[in-house]
Amino acid sequence: MAYQLYRNTTLGNSLQESLDELIQTQQITPQLALQVLLQFDKAINTALANRVRNRVNFRGSLNTYRFCDNVWTFVLNDVEFREVTELVKVDKVKIVACDGKSRNYK
Amino acid sequence: MASSANSNPVPKLYKSVIEDVINEVRELFLDEGVDEQVLLELKTLWENKLLQSKAVEGFHTEEQAALQAAQQQQQQQQQQQQQQVQQVQQVQQVTQQAQTQQVILPPQQQQAPQQQVIVQDSKILQHMSATGMSAAATAATLALPTGVTPYQQLITSQGQILQVVRAPNGAQYIIQQPQQQILLQQQMQPGGVQAPVIQQVLAPLQGGLPQQTGVIIQPQQIVLASGNKVQGNTQVMQAAAMAAQAGQAATAQVQQVQQAQGAAAPQAQPQQQAQPQGQPQTQAQQPPMMLQVDGTGDTSSEEDEDEEEEYDEDDDEEKDKDGGEDGQVEEEPLNSGDDVSDEEDQELFDTENVVVCQYDKIHRSKNKWKFHLKDGIMNLNGRDYVFSKAIGDAEW
Repeated sequence: MAYQLYRNTTLGNSLQESLDELIQTQQITPQLALQVLLQFDKAINTALANRVRNRVNFRGSLNTYRFCDNVWTFVLNDVEFREVTELVKVDKVKIVACDGKSRNYK
Repeated sequence: MASSANSNPVPKLYKSVIEDVINEVRELFLDEGVDEQVLLELKTLWENKLLQSKAVEGFHTEEQAALQAAQQQQQQQQQQQQQQVQQVQQVQQVTQQAQTQQVILPPQQQQAPQQQVIVQDSKILQHMSATGMSAAATAATLALPTGVTPYQQLITSQGQILQVVRAPNGAQYIIQQPQQQILLQQQMQPGGVQAPVIQQVLAPLQGGLPQQTGVIIQPQQIVLASGNKVQGNTQVMQAAAMAAQAGQAATAQVQQVQQAQGAAAPQAQPQQQAQPQGQPQTQAQQPPMMLQVDGTGDTSSEEDEDEEEEYDEDDDEEKDKDGGEDGQVEEEPLNSGDDVSDEEDQELFDTENVVVCQYDKIHRSKNKWKFHLKDGIMNLNGRDYVFSKAIGDAEW
């Protein structure tokens, strides 16, 4: 099983909402929806690993940090995200990071 | 790749992910026996939601974007219309629900899903019906039986309209139009079957009260007047000093639905009632919502006001206590209002900026942190970004 980390993204949330609507209208079963989400996990993990090739730098001030169950959670303030093409500034950002070193899928 | 480096990789990435997922689950759908149409619907829903989120630029063709905008406008208009209709329907539904709980009218008269006000007449039973739920509506449509003329109209402090009517036999009745539906029934006909009283049953008045009895309808109580043709008694809800005139009025506050029995035995009715008869009418026993008006009208109204004021004060005290506790908690952060501007900027964007990724290495030296991240999806200021690698520095 790949990380279910990416379900809470725009792409993942829109998929979950769509599945919920189909469940409510009883067009699919919850079991089937779960299968779809598992398939989504695989697809997004693969896509990010293979189809994305860009780098980003960022700098800011660290507000909080947490390391629990091998998951890092940071909250940064006044952050600048810099890419070759553009610069994005935010006052507050939350970073959730799962262990990427070991390729052991949860 | 240099030419395409400027283009946003996100839409293509998302489209490819969607395609992959849909194709992979097609088999799953077929195994479950789900139609292909549902699969296409899933894809459409998914893509539409992505479009609506505006997190991705150039996700779909401009034509589809224009269609989406047009559909949203139509939906908004429909929603406004539906809301208006729903409001009206809700009012009607509440009306109907309350009506079903009310006393069944005597068989001699049809069951009308309307509020009814019964005015006792020594001889004639009449049911008045008034439609509508609001006090104003019911008062406006109040139809008084012959011989009963509206004597006086009072508006209580609670906004309910009372009508004091005087029947030919000299009895004064106060008809209160509560916001909830109240069904009043009186039967004066011999052998008539009294309709069941829903919530509360009026205490029958002893003999000697027929002529001057006050009928006070409490908002949550139903005035049931079971007339006794022989004695001319009626069961009425007594809330106020009207009973004081007779001195024998009893308060009836039966909280259970009881079916009134035949009018021939009004005395049997006291058994149905929770409170014994003969209790002196005191306004203190009544819930503060009761408005009581007696013959003079002045003292009781003052008392009512006092009671209501006390009641309100008690509520206010309780509220102040709660508000005080909360206020103390809220005052401190409110005092530091200088920092609110940052939050407002964030609220304008209406997103919490989130980065979901995997970490290669997290390093710390004293308070200097270094982040090595990879394979991430970011949502910053409402827009989506992706990266294969991210390196960051921060001071704690």
